[in-house]
Amino acid sequence: MEPVLEAWELCKRYEGFSLSKVSLTLLPGTILGVFGPNGAGKTTLIKLLSGLFPPDSGEVRLFQLAYDDHEREIKDRLGYCPQEPPFYPDYTLVETARFAAPFYSRWDGALLYELLDRFRIPAHKKFRLISPGQKTLFSLALALCHHPDLLLLDEPAAGLDDANRRFLLDTLRAFAGDGEKAVLISSHVSDGLDEVVEQVLFIGAGKTLLAAEKEELLARWKWVHFRDNALDKALTAKLTAIRRHPFGSAGLCQDFPALREKLSGAMAAGDVRIENARLSDVLIQLTQGG
Amino acid sequence: MFITLSAASPEPMYKQITDQIRDAVASREIGSGAKLPSIRELSEALKTSVITVKRAYLDLEAEGCILSRPGLGSFVAAVDPAQLRERKIGEFRGELTRIVRTGAKFAIGADDLVQLIRDIEEEQNGTRS
Repeated sequence: MEPVLEAWELCKRYEGFSLSKVSLTLLPGTILGVFGPNGAGKTTLIKLLSGLFPPDSGEVRLFQLAYDDHEREIKDRLGYCPQEPPFYPDYTLVETARFAAPFYSRWDGALLYELLDRFRIPAHKKFRLISPGQKTLFSLALALCHHPDLLLLDEPAAGLDDANRRFLLDTLRAFAGDGEKAVLISSHVSDGLDEVVEQVLFIGAGKTLLAAEKEELLARWKWVHFRDNALDKALTAKLTAIRRHPFGSAGLCQDFPALREKLSGAMAAGDVRIENARLSDVLIQLTQGG
Repeated sequence: MFITLSAASPEPMYKQITDQIRDAVASREIGSGAKLPSIRELSEALKTSVITVKRAYLDLEAEGCILSRPGLGSFVAAVDPAQLRERKIGEFRGELTRIVRTGAKFAIGADDLVQLIRDIEEEQNGTRS
């Protein structure tokens, strides 16, 4: 299976910030979530991947093609939603769509207006007059309506209400579900998007902190709640982010399968309880933990 | 006392608290007359709201498990251990019903289950001694 998107050791340096050696591979049928705190470099990464500017070093390929000599073909097959859609504020949505259509070989105007209908966005309004959430949805509808093979969405859930967020997640699942296409989404809040992603890439301060399959990651990272004195020093030392209180303590373990047997006695006695960690727990530990 | 709250549990938070405090009383982990943590203290430790803990304490008080003395705090009541044991047996009945029904699907009968329980008990005694 050929990757839809590949990046090798991407570096980009600005004044006061540098993205260093971020690599990733996105196979058909997968949804990758790029998570990191504010200022981690998510948007820079997505801009590099979408060919807005070239990396200082490293290489990007979409559909096995490089921007240098296949920019037009790549952009025809790419649906990119920037964090702040760069549309003319005084154009109506219809005018904006008419402007964009000629750039795409698979433009599907009927699909666009079907989506705008579903989002209840008036197509004859000027772009600057619709709400921030509607701007996000409009940008998403434009990205979807030329039947791309890859979606790059920068903070797509920002400003969406619960119903539209659910619609976004269902849409992404269906999009990648045909097994041929792929999605990359970024967010500074993983909660809410974690259910839809299969691969995660955590970045912080411009560097890769962790890249993994979500299920594998969550099988290893667990919250261990324990009665005081139920765990010996060696076991407690395997936990991080320990929170103590008079009614039991809790810590995050990074490799539950390795601890399971040692904990099984205390678990059977009810002195230890295990709970699933969330992606946000892992990310916070990776960015702020010791 | 060991209390944890699980966001993944279908049981509401206040019920998770009442169940765990009642169990601690029933298993004599906290004896009658012992002082319970204050509502504020428990809500801070469990990272839940004061209202949730208050609700749990009111329920425990209503069933006679704890006593609240205004200005002094909440205390474990002089509960009848037999009554709490009875209640626990009721809970076991619910859990066992599920196990017995599942067993029936796989031709695992009461005798097999009793044997299993004896084995487990033996194992536990073995590891303890």
